[in-house]
Amino acid sequence: MKIYKLIIGLFVAATLFVACDDALDLEPRGNLQLATFDSLDDYQGLWAKLYAGLILGGQQGGDGNADIDGIDGGFSNYSRLYWKLQELSTDEAIIAWTDETIRDLHWQTWTPANQFTGAMYARISYQITICNSFIRESTPAALDANGIPQADRAAILAFRNEARFLRAYSYYHGMDLFGSFPFTTEATAADGSELPSFRTRAELFSFIEAELLAVENELPAPAATEYGRAGQGAVWMTLAKLYLNAEVYTGTPRYDDVITFTNKVINGGYSVNTSLPYRNSFLADNDSNGAQSEFIWTANYDGARTQTFGGTTFLSHAPVGGDMNAADYGLDSGWGGIRTTPQFVELFPGEENSLDGRENFFTAGQTKSIANVGRFKDGFAVIKFQNLTSTNNPGVNLTFVSTDFPVYRLADAYLMYAEATIRGGAGGSTGDAIGYINTLRTRAYGNTSGNITAGQLNLDFILDERARELHWEGHRRQDLVRFNQFTSNGVWEWKGNVQSGTTTPAFRNLYPVPTTQLRLNSNLIQNPGY
Amino acid sequence: MNQKFKFALWLLVLPLFALAQTITGVVIDTGTSQPLLGVSVIVKGTSNGTATDFDGKYTVNNVPAGAIITYSYLGYLPQDVLYNGQSPINVKLTQNPSDLDTIVLIGYGSTTKENVTAAQTTVNEEEFNRGAVVSPGQLIAGKAAGVQVIGASGRPGDGPQIRVRAGSTLSGNQDALYVVDGIPLDQQNANLNTINPAEIESITILKDASATAIYGNRASNGVILITTKKGKMNSALRIGYDLQLAISRPQKYLDVLSGDEFRALINAGGSIDDIALLGTANTDWQREIYETGVRAMHNITVEKGYEKTAIRANVAYTNENGTLLTSGYERASFNGSVVQRVGNDLKLTLNVQGAMEEIRNADGGAVGSAIDFDPTQSVFDSNNGVNGFFEYRQSNGNVDALAPRNPLGLLRSLRNETDNNQIRTNLQAEYKIPSVDGLVFNGTAGLDYNEFDNFSARNPNSGVAANTNALRSNSNGTRLNQLLNGRFDYKKDLESLDTKMELTVGSSYQGFRRESVNVGQDNGTGAFNEPIVNFNENRLISAFGRATFDIKDLLVLSASVSRDGTSRFSPENRWGTFGGASAALKLTNTDFVQNSGFLSQLKLRTGWGVTGQQDIGQDFLYLQLVTPGENQAAVQIGNQFFNTLRPELTTDLRWEQTTEYTVGLDYGLFDDVLTGSIDVYTRETKDLLQFGPLPAGSLGNFALQNVGSTQSRGIEVGLNAKIANTENFKWNVGANVTFNDIKITDLSLGAGDAPIQQTPVSGGGFNNFIQEWAVGSDPSTFWVFRQVYDLAGNPLDGVFVDVNGDNVINDEDRVRYKQSNPDAFFGFTSGMTYKNFDLNFTLRGAVGGYNYNNNSAGRDNFAQVAENPGNWLNNATASILETGFTSNLNTLSSSHYIQKADFLRLDNLSLGYTFQGDKRTVRTSVTGTNLLTITNYDGLDPEVVNGIDSNLFPRATSVVLGLTVQF
Repeated sequence: MKIYKLIIGLFVAATLFVACDDALDLEPRGNLQLATFDSLDDYQGLWAKLYAGLILGGQQGGDGNADIDGIDGGFSNYSRLYWKLQELSTDEAIIAWTDETIRDLHWQTWTPANQFTGAMYARISYQITICNSFIRESTPAALDANGIPQADRAAILAFRNEARFLRAYSYYHGMDLFGSFPFTTEATAADGSELPSFRTRAELFSFIEAELLAVENELPAPAATEYGRAGQGAVWMTLAKLYLNAEVYTGTPRYDDVITFTNKVINGGYSVNTSLPYRNSFLADNDSNGAQSEFIWTANYDGARTQTFGGTTFLSHAPVGGDMNAADYGLDSGWGGIRTTPQFVELFPGEENSLDGRENFFTAGQTKSIANVGRFKDGFAVIKFQNLTSTNNPGVNLTFVSTDFPVYRLADAYLMYAEATIRGGAGGSTGDAIGYINTLRTRAYGNTSGNITAGQLNLDFILDERARELHWEGHRRQDLVRFNQFTSNGVWEWKGNVQSGTTTPAFRNLYPVPTTQLRLNSNLIQNPGY
Repeated sequence: MNQKFKFALWLLVLPLFALAQTITGVVIDTGTSQPLLGVSVIVKGTSNGTATDFDGKYTVNNVPAGAIITYSYLGYLPQDVLYNGQSPINVKLTQNPSDLDTIVLIGYGSTTKENVTAAQTTVNEEEFNRGAVVSPGQLIAGKAAGVQVIGASGRPGDGPQIRVRAGSTLSGNQDALYVVDGIPLDQQNANLNTINPAEIESITILKDASATAIYGNRASNGVILITTKKGKMNSALRIGYDLQLAISRPQKYLDVLSGDEFRALINAGGSIDDIALLGTANTDWQREIYETGVRAMHNITVEKGYEKTAIRANVAYTNENGTLLTSGYERASFNGSVVQRVGNDLKLTLNVQGAMEEIRNADGGAVGSAIDFDPTQSVFDSNNGVNGFFEYRQSNGNVDALAPRNPLGLLRSLRNETDNNQIRTNLQAEYKIPSVDGLVFNGTAGLDYNEFDNFSARNPNSGVAANTNALRSNSNGTRLNQLLNGRFDYKKDLESLDTKMELTVGSSYQGFRRESVNVGQDNGTGAFNEPIVNFNENRLISAFGRATFDIKDLLVLSASVSRDGTSRFSPENRWGTFGGASAALKLTNTDFVQNSGFLSQLKLRTGWGVTGQQDIGQDFLYLQLVTPGENQAAVQIGNQFFNTLRPELTTDLRWEQTTEYTVGLDYGLFDDVLTGSIDVYTRETKDLLQFGPLPAGSLGNFALQNVGSTQSRGIEVGLNAKIANTENFKWNVGANVTFNDIKITDLSLGAGDAPIQQTPVSGGGFNNFIQEWAVGSDPSTFWVFRQVYDLAGNPLDGVFVDVNGDNVINDEDRVRYKQSNPDAFFGFTSGMTYKNFDLNFTLRGAVGGYNYNNNSAGRDNFAQVAENPGNWLNNATASILETGFTSNLNTLSSSHYIQKADFLRLDNLSLGYTFQGDKRTVRTSVTGTNLLTITNYDGLDPEVVNGIDSNLFPRATSVVLGLTVQF
């Protein structure tokens, strides 16, 4: 009889035991961990994620375990989306793919429901939010609470200043593409319970400017900035961009400030090596083949350790198709997507036979004009980003490209200086501007035969020269808007969804606020025209 | 003079001349000769009595001669015996032929059918669907109102989906809770396939909330109680062998263009380049990748009962070659039970179910590729192919990575196997506590353990391998489900109130742990990536109680309460109290029914219940978490690579809570020739858990949230008729129909109840939704552009209604249109025996629902055919010949593809013959499953889960030969 009582006793005891609340407190393991933030290593991981947010789609190689949902991980990559919105909508690039509304970008027929503008909005917002998280977790009080030793705090403070820069940098993207953008700071709850407020474009401009100026002197000088890390150079360049486009953003020109900040960059120790070919800047060894002396800030990719379908992997594979041999570019395959329009081809004297070394068209089997958007062979292909080294060896991985993406390079600063000077920026020297431009052209031509004279320097030249020098580097839409050539002026093939091209309404200088976001957050206001 | 008075007289008089005696005896079942446990033995008119023990034995003291002893037992006809000094008194009780006294399971207990107060249906072995049943769900397809069994795909090893009063949960787990011999299965992995269907004795479906509330924390979507077969005490050795041989083939192929049709299409509308791509072959790719599937199932059962022990063991083996080439399924399973009596009061039951599955996974990509692949190309290309298979190449000769892959090349180059070993065991103890009459303790300890291992290896010499070095991957893991529960049941007759009382109180603990490790190769280098470890754990704790009163054998009142905790929610939100109450009025026991002349039974039921749902698949959402980045997702700063840490969104979720009211009626007419039930329910779910978009400014753009409320209503009607019931000819038919509607009553996701788009579809990119939630509409409502048609009824290419009249067609012109939820679904079953022949069939169907035909929407336009980033063409669905669409602009979201999905399906038709011998019984049968589907739906199959038809894998039609030998 005792054994029965024992059995019952065990059952009763066990069920009573487990019925206490503690049994319900469980902790994760493996690919999810409790956030502790109690060591420099933790902060280093969080800080690395702020850069990864711009470079990678998620936490696994090839954009697995993506940061944002509702879109393929590779498509969701920040740099890939940003590139599409700044380039596919212009004369520099057109894509053959049919992925839902991707063609609307070049046609300039996008709606507030466009998948790519929606994903960009989500990406920028996500990037700002993880920056906010870092800033919130790295206050002195938070570091005290987490028991971080004093010895580690200097490193974390440096991360924090970078986080403030990176947040301002993404706000600048949001402001440039969408005008207004939901406004959050480290004080905003990150769980969606607190609806972000609405800030106008001018208000965002002031916030970004103030943040950049606040961290300028806290970040390392160019010589002390590690490769791939944001230092003073990145701050100066972002400020210069902000001021160069200030008239678009706020209605008030700030060209004097452009001169100030491009001068800081130009005197920052960066150099353009005119003895190296232009192509070196976009090769798999561009971190070491000499071209890197020009780089102010790069997004670093690596076939072994930084694997994504965005960034330079996308920029190398997507333009390869037709009769092109993928292996010639260090790749396993081409994706047969991106080409360019005849209008861009015509910016080079002699077009596909130009002496300008920046002309890099692949024309065999291709037609200059684009009869069929979906046909890769319609339109010249562009060879720029490649997975080959300067000695023509492929990168370590034929799928994931090892080429670093120059976010900011000296050539851009030269051209901004020249433009601001022409536009009347105080302190600018025309002579210096011509010198800078001729440095670029000497590299492009391999000699001084392409150099220009003072008489040739004007705003039209600057816009065209920016396209020649900086094409496919994510600047074109912004430049065209500033020159008022993006919508109601300026025509290229398939703009407006007709082959010959047509102008479009000026409201398309801004992308729309996504429909879903308008429904979720009543503080937001749609841009006019949409 | 009434009876009571007579007995009173006897009592007064008898002791005067008769000495009271002690009597003993054994009570057994007339049919089985099994001893009966717990038979009430009472000296009539007194409180003197006892109950039989496990051996059916009893002893009653102080019985005067001439006393009448009443033997009564649930489900049996009571018997009175006059005592004249004889001893022992051995009694045989006969089962009550009326099914009212049938024992049926309820949550944590059992009762008689008569006393059931809630909407529930029990399907017994005799009523199960027959044929090549691989998964238990198939046994009950079409059998019960309110229970939707959506047929399995043609993929070997796939089971059907079961929905009980669908629609309560929209985003969490919609599966019912399966309880196998008292063990609730892990809802994240309710792999019913590891239960051998031949070993199931009965399946009970608890539909309404008053019945399920005792399982409060996971009862919102119904509870399905599965009882497996056990051995019987004191029974002779029985050996059975069962063999089924099945052949199957896809019921239908998707209607795509043939080679000649495709050539005509391209020659008429394609560019010179397009025409140049055409081949000369006529390949029907779908027919190339499917074959006739073959399946063999063997079952051997041994059963024997001893005095205190009963044993049953079943060994089964299934081997199947699927209809898709290279796919297959193999299962060996063991099901054993031992029932052991210890002393008079303790019964121990041990159940062990083990299964070893080996699933040979075919490359599923071949199914889609067979639809898309140019039918003018031939399968093989000995000159320029890859491993002999035709593949598209880029101009430079490289295999084009973006082109569709040769479907046969895909199938033949992959070896992918999953091994799954499962052991499920539980020990149940039932202990009659001797000191308290009517008090029984019931304890269950259970373990459900499962190990799986999948590996995949690709032939490097194949089209798909041409551009990758990631040819191998492995994932393996374990799942562990531990259960401990105990309860006390107490029964007492409150004679003064003429009421039978039953009380149950207990508690339950269940813990689930799942761990898996995935290892893949680097796409470029072929190096193995670091393993990804996934870990999940959650626990449920519950304390529950129920009280039932059967008053004057007329009114049954029952109430239950359950206090539940889940580890998935924060300490503030993790506890919930659920409960229900119900009543049944047994009008059968009134003169009104007894004298009516046509009514043979009538019962009114009503119930109310509140249940909860927390099965959201994610276990730690309320905690602040980080996800470490992999080595391949590091960032380079300077010369160093840094691995990342991603902060995760923290969400504080609450229980999704469903409140339901049911009114029902059970009836029998003409001596139960017609029986059935009618139920009406209304239900409200609030704090719906849904994966929805987040406003910008959050850590992520989608998350699980408590987003709103729905209200649903339904009517369920069931009818069974014994059309013929003679010795040689018996014919029973059953019919049931379920009407259901659901609408959203509150939506807190967007600002001010703003509609929110749902359900991303394939072919779309970011946020390409096809359904929209709005207050007042069904949550499965589609959200589309309204297609414009010409006078002849043909859709106009690219013409849609400009709803807001702004001369632009954009998302502002999309409207809510139709819904996927059917208005009604129904089942019809027939079972007939004539002498030794038996014939059974089951029909199922649904009306009023629509499918979004994603397969056609993405394929029947010329842009999809010809506009490719390389040198190939895609085939189109045959509907392109009707639509003639040239552009794919907005067609993916056109109302043209919202198509009526009404259907009637002959699920099962079975003919058998039984040879009845002295020593052995042999039954042979032939069964057809999924024989015929009547529908106007254009797609592959009208029966689609959630109404988004992107399924390409056709369901199979099978013919099964069966042989059963019983020794």
